[in-house]
Amino acid sequence: MVTVTATGMAMPRETVKVSRNIYKPYLMTIVDMRDETHDTRTLRLQFKDPEVAQTFDWKPGQFAQYSVFGVGECVFTIANSPTRKGYIECTFRQVGKVTSALRDMEIGQTIGFRGPYGNWFPVEEWEGKRLYFVGGGIGTVALRGVMQYCLDNRKLYDEILILNAARTVADLVYKSEMDEWAKVDGVTLVKAVDPGGETPDWDGKVGLAPNVFEELKPTPDNAILVTCGPPIMIRFMLLAAERLGFKPEQVYTTLENRMKCGLGKCGRCNVGPYYVCKDGPVFTAAQLAKLPKDF
Amino acid sequence: MLRKRLTRENLNKWIDGLVASGLRVIAPVRERDGGRGARDGKGGLTLFRPITSSAEIAADYTKTDLPFKEWLFPPTEVILHYRIVDGEPVLEDPEVDATKTVALFLRPCDAAAIPILDSVFGGDYEDEFYMTRRRNLTVVGLSCTEPQPECFCAAVGLSPTSEAGSDILLTPVGDEFLVEVLTEKGEQLVNQYADLFADAGDLTKEQVTEQAIAKMLRKESLPTFAETYSELFEHPVWEEIARKCLGCGVCAYSCPTCHCYDIVDEATLFEGVRCRNWDCCGFALFTLHASGHNPRPTQAHRYRQRVLHKFAYFLQTYGRNMCVGCGRCVIKCPVGMDIYEVVKKVAQASERVGV
Repeated sequence: MVTVTATGMAMPRETVKVSRNIYKPYLMTIVDMRDETHDTRTLRLQFKDPEVAQTFDWKPGQFAQYSVFGVGECVFTIANSPTRKGYIECTFRQVGKVTSALRDMEIGQTIGFRGPYGNWFPVEEWEGKRLYFVGGGIGTVALRGVMQYCLDNRKLYDEILILNAARTVADLVYKSEMDEWAKVDGVTLVKAVDPGGETPDWDGKVGLAPNVFEELKPTPDNAILVTCGPPIMIRFMLLAAERLGFKPEQVYTTLENRMKCGLGKCGRCNVGPYYVCKDGPVFTAAQLAKLPKDF
Repeated sequence: MLRKRLTRENLNKWIDGLVASGLRVIAPVRERDGGRGARDGKGGLTLFRPITSSAEIAADYTKTDLPFKEWLFPPTEVILHYRIVDGEPVLEDPEVDATKTVALFLRPCDAAAIPILDSVFGGDYEDEFYMTRRRNLTVVGLSCTEPQPECFCAAVGLSPTSEAGSDILLTPVGDEFLVEVLTEKGEQLVNQYADLFADAGDLTKEQVTEQAIAKMLRKESLPTFAETYSELFEHPVWEEIARKCLGCGVCAYSCPTCHCYDIVDEATLFEGVRCRNWDCCGFALFTLHASGHNPRPTQAHRYRQRVLHKFAYFLQTYGRNMCVGCGRCVIKCPVGMDIYEVVKKVAQASERVGV
């Protein structure tokens, strides 16, 4: 393909094929899919190239750009832990052009995958600590990879409490998977829906996630809190964490912003001087407090 | 650094020699559009275009209407090509322009923009589309003797005779040129035509620099906000400043350093391309999430981003302002936004707040 300027006058005399194209995705086959809710689906993907499948590695919390060729790219967290290799999972809500095209795809079809990008949860620093994971709705997706990692390395961590919250029962993601996690020694699972979101046979908590979390009386001593959800939920979770005595360095969240390049060049996803795609998406509450309200 | 002198006659011989040697030589050219400008001799634009002779270079050239950046970072560019073969996508890397190029007569502001773009497109993930063009480019800068009313390079750490970004810098001194050969690339271009160049002797650009700066209307150093942007972020001054901004984007498109881009797919049933297109943080949908949430919902939010990206964030990350003081945004803005005045206004507001 020949590149031209806006006026079409720049016919180059020599061209060279790009050899290390940072925008070129890996090809992935959809090998399985599961609907988590009426509008949220998990895809399981495998690299078409067997060498990549063998060597690809990532850290919990990193993300990727997933593409439907001809439609576009979309950012989702890599939803499985690197302790579970051999496949890549992503969970997404159908909400726009690319997610609708993704939802139309069938097992056996091919999509693109560019990554891993971003920073990651510093799981080594959490060893020996008590872990609290609080996910709100689709925000729980961003935590699945790191939760799996900690469960797969169970002995490295103290007690684990997972609060899976959503607006309604139908909106809870990873329901059956988390029920399995609750069976692991030292892991407590609490499910919560917003007031009005419960069904007659609901046996979980009813209340907004930050309130439910406070009622569980979590102790900040030697603990880490990881939370993700809609911006308003994160805001109130950070306030609750402060009230409960968590220091801002003990509280982690993962942000998202509209992204295009995913690698810190296109200028779109910045919050102040920091690119969510490169300096994030994982931030501590201490770092967030210094960021301008640009997200 | 090699210092030479060049007569005007030999300059043209040198340029014609470069063209004849097979290099693509790009220089400021006056392009007459098909409108009124074509009839009355006025109008049209001065742009960087390939030339076939030194005679084509725009006479009385002050500054081009659009910056040089399109030659390193085109407004639209294919970054991936794919075909559907037997129902499966097959990806192809595109070809990128690798023509050996000499860019002539970039003003010091335009030349200084190139290292700024290098910081963005280089780094951890090297953008080969930009870097291939960059490596094949030699920049011959031309110092300014007549700053325009909108110019303010001296206010952002540059000067009408700055060397930043140039491989060779020409400065008119009397009826000759001082030639500062700043890099190896520059040396190669000069050595091939060594007989055209004489030794500089005691020719200097000090006086030219002083006189040009004296003519510059806006040279008082502009404050920056790398330390203070957090306190300034919610100040009402942004509302006031951005009230007239239309979000038209001409500032970003005519800026030598702006580099935000979009990535979109365009396709037919059996093949398609992924394109990288210029974008602008001033556009209303620039940061819009698919959920409907927009972190920058008003023009005040968006204009704040422009100013702080240039005078705070880029400075913090890369150590220099993302503005070269060329003033194109000032003269092209349809509502007369003047970033020089805006920055001063924001700084005044910060003083009142005690920041």
